[in-house]
Amino acid sequence: MLWKNKKQQTIKNILRFGLITFIFVSMIFLVSAYSQDKFKLKTGARGKLCLNCHVTFTDILKKSFVHTPVKTGECSVCHNPHASSYGKMLSDDTGKVCLKCHSQLISENARSVHKVALEGNCSLCHDPHASNNKFNLLKSGNELCFGCHKDINESVVKAKFKHPPVDKGCVSCHNPHASNKGVFLLKDTLPSLCLQCHKTDKPSFMNQHMNYPVAKANCSTCHNPHGSDKGGILFNNVHKPVSSKMCNQCHEEPTSQNPFRVKKVGFELCRGCHSNMVNNIFNKNRLHWPLLSKKGCLSCHSPHATTQNMLLKAPMITLCSECHSDTIKRQERSQTKHPPIQEGNCTVCHTPHADNNPFLFNNASIIDLCGTCHEWQKHSSHPIGEKFIDPRNKNLTVQCLSCHRSHGTENKYFIHFPTISELCTQCHVQFRR
Amino acid sequence: MGIDRLIKIFLVVFISLCIVNLTYGESIKIKYNSSIYSDDRGSGLRLPEGVACNDNILLIADTGNSRLLKYTIENGVLKGGAEIKIPELTFPQRVEIGASNEIFIFDGKLRKIARLSPDGKFKSYLSFEGSVVPKSFKIDRFGNIYVLDIFNERVLVLNQEGNQIRSIEFPERYGFISDLAIDPIGNVFLLDSTLAVIYIASKESKSFSPFKNGLNDYINFPSNITIDAKGVIYLSDLAGGTISVIGQDGTFRGHQSGYGWKEGLLRYPSQICINDKGDFFVADRENNRVQMFIVIR
Repeated sequence: MLWKNKKQQTIKNILRFGLITFIFVSMIFLVSAYSQDKFKLKTGARGKLCLNCHVTFTDILKKSFVHTPVKTGECSVCHNPHASSYGKMLSDDTGKVCLKCHSQLISENARSVHKVALEGNCSLCHDPHASNNKFNLLKSGNELCFGCHKDINESVVKAKFKHPPVDKGCVSCHNPHASNKGVFLLKDTLPSLCLQCHKTDKPSFMNQHMNYPVAKANCSTCHNPHGSDKGGILFNNVHKPVSSKMCNQCHEEPTSQNPFRVKKVGFELCRGCHSNMVNNIFNKNRLHWPLLSKKGCLSCHSPHATTQNMLLKAPMITLCSECHSDTIKRQERSQTKHPPIQEGNCTVCHTPHADNNPFLFNNASIIDLCGTCHEWQKHSSHPIGEKFIDPRNKNLTVQCLSCHRSHGTENKYFIHFPTISELCTQCHVQFRR
Repeated sequence: MGIDRLIKIFLVVFISLCIVNLTYGESIKIKYNSSIYSDDRGSGLRLPEGVACNDNILLIADTGNSRLLKYTIENGVLKGGAEIKIPELTFPQRVEIGASNEIFIFDGKLRKIARLSPDGKFKSYLSFEGSVVPKSFKIDRFGNIYVLDIFNERVLVLNQEGNQIRSIEFPERYGFISDLAIDPIGNVFLLDSTLAVIYIASKESKSFSPFKNGLNDYINFPSNITIDAKGVIYLSDLAGGTISVIGQDGTFRGHQSGYGWKEGLLRYPSQICINDKGDFFVADRENNRVQMFIVIR
């Protein structure tokens, strides 16, 4: 009886396996039949037919990882054999062709998406036919990522203190296509991602962090995950209280109910140490108002550590354009570029905290300000200065900004009018035609 | 249906359409009238940032000269220009006329709001509990004072005597709030310069919600907001040199004026004021003048 049951079970399993195989083979047959039928190809005239002309593919097919449609000879899954409006005789835009099969790579709820994937430039990372690297990648490991992310490569190579997962591969922490959880394609939120390796309850860890419960904090406000020249891979520019482990200079004690709460709000906290600077600011007529907002100094500065000088949160041009995007865009549109802006050095002309001059210019005289770089213009130029009244407005004198707009215009030499003659005849009306 | 009934229906529809058009669809333009370059003694304006007006008075915060100037408006013509210069006023950036023609000035250097008598005598600074950093303020038709406190991310509402009545929290995820305005029915509007968004809080509300998003398609850097008696919103576009008009329903109704030196044009316009007669004044900061326009509907 028992033997009979076993036999029946085996037959059932064979039938089940047979049925699954049949369905699978039928599907492959149907797909190939469809693509054959679509172009009315002769029986067997699939990839083989293409290879008659595309002879180099014989070598490509020998590579370790071959894209499935190439392997099965389904060239027409991606290419149109007769005519196409897209490059490489593709049947659609590059990205769209890939998405026909790989539509699940970027979820609708993605928190961050790799720009390359979003724009459908899959072939920047993958070889659509074959490769000797897994996933048909053009290069193996970090070499591929560093092809574009050169600045990160540079900092990784230079870093005195390395973060081991970086050497293991960027994909240790990042998803290459999109992440549903983290920013910057991180596989998880911070600190959850870091806590997968770092044990926060170890005495040495707690000691390093002055017993503050950093397991709930964002590690990347202090640490550079790609490595750094500072011990503990802190960002290269560290706020002194952090480097001297004086967290309680700004924060409540680690044993308190709210250990991360700061002792004072906004600029009042920073004033404790930077009193001269704050007092100097308050002696000026014009303030950079974000300084007095609730965020205070943290509107622009990082309180812990950063890659930027002066503990700026981001490179100056990026930081300033967060609020003054119109000004930065004007420069981008301008035919002639003003080097200090192009180089992202806004403080060549502006004082970031406070000054007595409009636009927080660091010089009361526009002519002297421009003259710091354009020195010759001060003595061999159109008459400018306090003695020369602007004919358009009796309350203004002629100076550099009478003709130029320092952040650029749509005209050459960032003049206010399309032609030189139009500019000059604004004042010299007698020469107007 | 009788002919009388048809005429009645036609009239009702016609009047309704006229009302809708007058309320929401009217075209608003500002026509240049005159410019103020100096006080009554011929001393020139320097980087003026503030203007306040009612039907009879115009006040100018002549910021660069640390003074106020007072003019009278008679049949659309400006007269006077007497200087008000007091030691309590170091850097006047915004000015408002309160109930009983009291003068209120925001001093950007001191970060205080000064209260002056109608003839320009210093009375007091507005006092607040705790650390308050005013960036701007406005006064409604009942004399209540609305203070933009950027340090505590709120609008403080004070009564005529200067006592706090209520406060309204800033919206979440704002950029930088530069100015506020009160419409005739008591709604409070906030202007977010960096995100180019206007927020609204209804009369009794304790929080703001977006009223008009996506203004950065039209405006460079809006810095000042004013609302006229009909609820039309005017924004001065600091970097664009224009006045942007927003309808009561939030629709963008176009730019007025433009960037330039000549009369009628603006460079880095600051505070705006409009009186019930339709006189429209702009502090034309970088042109060292105040310009008067007439609102045409």
